[in-house]
Amino acid sequence: METQLQRSKLRRTAQWADVRRRGMGMWAYTLNRVTGVGLVVYLYLHLVVLSMLAGGPDMWDPFVELARSPLFLALDVILIAGWLIHGLNGIRVTLTGLGFGTRYQKNLFVGLMLVAGIGTVVMGIMVFGS
Amino acid sequence: MTLEVALKVFRYKAGQPARYDTFRVRVPDTANVLDAVEAAWAQHDRSLTFRHACHHASCGSCAVRIDGREKLPCITSVRDVWNGHGELRIEPLRNFPIVSDLVVDVSGFFRKMSASQMIITRSAEAYLPVAASAAEGRPQDARSVTLPEGVARVNRFENCIECGICISACPTMATSDKFMGPAALAGIYRARLEAPNKAESARLLELADGEQGVWRCHSGWECTEACPQGVDPAGAIMLLRRDLVKHRIKRLFNVRRTRALVA
Repeated sequence: METQLQRSKLRRTAQWADVRRRGMGMWAYTLNRVTGVGLVVYLYLHLVVLSMLAGGPDMWDPFVELARSPLFLALDVILIAGWLIHGLNGIRVTLTGLGFGTRYQKNLFVGLMLVAGIGTVVMGIMVFGS
Repeated sequence: MTLEVALKVFRYKAGQPARYDTFRVRVPDTANVLDAVEAAWAQHDRSLTFRHACHHASCGSCAVRIDGREKLPCITSVRDVWNGHGELRIEPLRNFPIVSDLVVDVSGFFRKMSASQMIITRSAEAYLPVAASAAEGRPQDARSVTLPEGVARVNRFENCIECGICISACPTMATSDKFMGPAALAGIYRARLEAPNKAESARLLELADGEQGVWRCHSGWECTEACPQGVDPAGAIMLLRRDLVKHRIKRLFNVRRTRALVA
């Protein structure tokens, strides 16, 4: 008879995704993982898209038309946001991970995410304006 | 003035499926959550198992999750965590095997805590075995322990009360039982601050190194957020990393050898 209850590893591992009632560090942790997964998925999609070049203008030109649609441009802005969030938070993780600025990790997160937000807005204007 | 609060308590007994039981208890409005749990035990179900001892955040025994957040119920006021309606959810700590209801198996946790071999010395009991040697598997005799110069006694983890809250909060602990964990690593950092000699300091640093040591931490910072005693385990882990990187760089460039050649 089982005398102790041990939650499955899958269930335990999935708890990182639950940021309710968690501190800012966990929000940053979860955000980094979500953006990281998103960027990996984007990378593969990007490679698939680039492979269309091998199909010549008949395959590439229709894609370019699709890529200029508002929906795709919005996806580009989301990509930029993910890239900025992941990269800037990565700088924070690198710094604090080597013992620099550990007392200010929350302030660092807020500051860098503000930069990411501003950067996303600026680049979003440039994307839709082009 | 009194409060009537509904506690939704996690229940588990060996051989039975886990479930939640709801207990309605009436407690003074100044009551802490532990008081409410004790009232549930006393008035409703004597099979409810939970740990408690000091009732003032010194022992760390009572740590549980209250509405999903790790807390010490002995110092957590009901009014602070309950909005006056609905249920107050009480669950055991995460990342520990559950023995019964709110009681978890902490044996693995204490084995890891002993790894730094921090000692408790008490003048009245100088000859009692004080800590298990994780490497040697036997208790250490206090008489054989050398304290740093000028230090008459050493308290084990002055702030850390070994409650396990950081373990429960840590997202990495959920993925690996082998990870040393925030408390043990913070303990190693603390032990290094008063290491009696360089060899011991180096031993402790090596203990923190490795796949299941400081490098397993993924900077969730939740241990520091959840710690009720301000230990800042995440900060300690990062400082250990800094020391390890310095140590490796020095070793890489073999600083001593260079100095000897230059001298």
